[in-house]
Amino acid sequence: MKPKFFVVLIKELRETLRDKRTLGLLALFTFMYPLMLGFLLNKTIDRATKPERDGVKVAVIGSSKAPTLMAQLKQRNVTVVDTQPMDETAIGELLRAEKYPVVLRLSDKFTDNYAAMRPARVELWFDSADENYSQRREVEEVLEAYGANVASARLLAHGVSPATLAPIQVQRFDTGTNASRSAGFIGSILGILFLPAFICGMSTAVDITAGERERRSMEVLMAQPARAWELVTGKWLTAGVLAIAGVTLELALAHAILSWMPLEEIGMSWALTWVDLVVVCVASVPLCLFAAGLQIALAMNAKSFKEAQSVLSIAMLVPLVPGVVISMMELKTAAWMYMVPMLSNQTLLREMAKGGDIGLWPVAMTFLSSAIAAALAVGFASWRMKSERYVLSV
Amino acid sequence: MIEVQDVRKQFGEVKALGGVSFSARDGQITALLGPNGAGKTTLLRTLIGLLKRDHGSISIDGVDPEKDPLAVRRNIGFLTDQFGLYERLSTREYLEYFGELNGMGGPTLHTRIDEVAELLAMDDILERRAKGFSQGQRIKVALARTLLHRPRHLLLDEPSRGLDVMATRALRHALTALRADGCCVIMATHVMQEVTHLCDDVIVIAKGHTVAQGSPEELCRRTGIASLEDAFVSLVGTEEGIAA
Repeated sequence: MKPKFFVVLIKELRETLRDKRTLGLLALFTFMYPLMLGFLLNKTIDRATKPERDGVKVAVIGSSKAPTLMAQLKQRNVTVVDTQPMDETAIGELLRAEKYPVVLRLSDKFTDNYAAMRPARVELWFDSADENYSQRREVEEVLEAYGANVASARLLAHGVSPATLAPIQVQRFDTGTNASRSAGFIGSILGILFLPAFICGMSTAVDITAGERERRSMEVLMAQPARAWELVTGKWLTAGVLAIAGVTLELALAHAILSWMPLEEIGMSWALTWVDLVVVCVASVPLCLFAAGLQIALAMNAKSFKEAQSVLSIAMLVPLVPGVVISMMELKTAAWMYMVPMLSNQTLLREMAKGGDIGLWPVAMTFLSSAIAAALAVGFASWRMKSERYVLSV
Repeated sequence: MIEVQDVRKQFGEVKALGGVSFSARDGQITALLGPNGAGKTTLLRTLIGLLKRDHGSISIDGVDPEKDPLAVRRNIGFLTDQFGLYERLSTREYLEYFGELNGMGGPTLHTRIDEVAELLAMDDILERRAKGFSQGQRIKVALARTLLHRPRHLLLDEPSRGLDVMATRALRHALTALRADGCCVIMATHVMQEVTHLCDDVIVIAKGHTVAQGSPEELCRRTGIASLEDAFVSLVGTEEGIAA
């Protein structure tokens, strides 16, 4: 004889898999996140590597007035495009078209002022809403260097050491390694990566509890010779299986995308191996089961299908809160973080992505914290189903 | 054999059952008559152990549903006013599900499903999914589920509702066969004609109390009224009972 909860599980799964809408949503969320992530990263990498490949292209109005400056720009791999004089709106349009990150305009009196050693004006037009800060910075550096060179030459001609112009010298040291820099970014995307645990089983959890009650078949089911916990367990595992399938697929896909992308181009690393991934997936099984248990318990107690749906949508946001708070308060990874479901999975993946050896303890804690929470949720749901108040409401 | 002795049940201030006593014998079809809101649903739920009584005793073949609800349910076919069909399952899958929940399985279950389908003349819908079933087809499927595990007791809540003439006949035929088999059938109904044709015993409850128990003829004789319907109204004590 098959165990009763298994009978319920098989029937609910069969019914769910026949519902095209639920399956469609499942597929959408499973594939959407990794692909979105890949697309975003791809764009970032593309932008970061672009200037090195092509160099910067700058439109210059009146380039003939400063041949030395133009020569220096060209030396620094900045392509100068000589442009006809134009007014402000025309320049604005040129920038908005994103053909040039920067437009330089030399004033009419540039040559006279330069020769008379008065400040000769060079206008630097740019669009700060455009995200080409590094290219703009490059042009600015060339301009500053050129100005400093000319100033030194003039001072020397007056018998003053150019060193007087630089009372302090700033030298920059960046101690951030690739790994720690990427940890921040990866940490922010991890919160999303585990969200399907709460999404994939949701509509099914509502359908097989509040939905079954609303379709008035719950009473019949409860009148069968099966214990409340057997029915609840069957339903819980149904939602759990879907969540596990969704999260595992999604993590594998995300891992494939992240390992395939040239993340080192933007100073990030994804040091996870396939073995690590299996560990992460196994550690997230209880998270999925906890999500399913919580959803079953909440949806069962909702007065209607609609109420169940809205309650669960709110409940879905709750597990995101710890992750957001941690990143806002910039807390360092601590042992207690492995004791909070969801947060523990995010922390685990983040630490593993950094490439360090984290040992068995955090994995075990991640596993147990969710497993205990799941058991509590299912226990509550079973107790609830046995109560008279629930019987009266079906 | 179902024996109920002075069962009372209260929900907060509301007294759902104020003292119900009756006995339903094996090999008989017992009608449960009562206006809407008389406490029939509460009574049936108490009988299968979904609700706990506040007072009194219940024995179903000697078993108390409060002490061993699973044993009682294994031996009861329960048809509520809702059929509890699943739209995305075919009739056969539906019956397999409930068969397995009742501990059946394998070839025994398959033969039994075919048997029940033949008994209720529903071979044509056996492989179809429940979506789009007519009322009559739905109640047939639900009835098949009720009979599937060969329960010795049947609790039926308005089983003939929405059935056409042919289906009603099939139902009546099935119930007679079950009675001949020695099953104990309790049937809540509002159709007096059915009661006179089919039932050996009648229990009348009103406002949570048993008002009378006896054969239809006995009830008519006791009230001195020839038609069972009028006798029922007189026993319930108010015209509103039926209108409600």
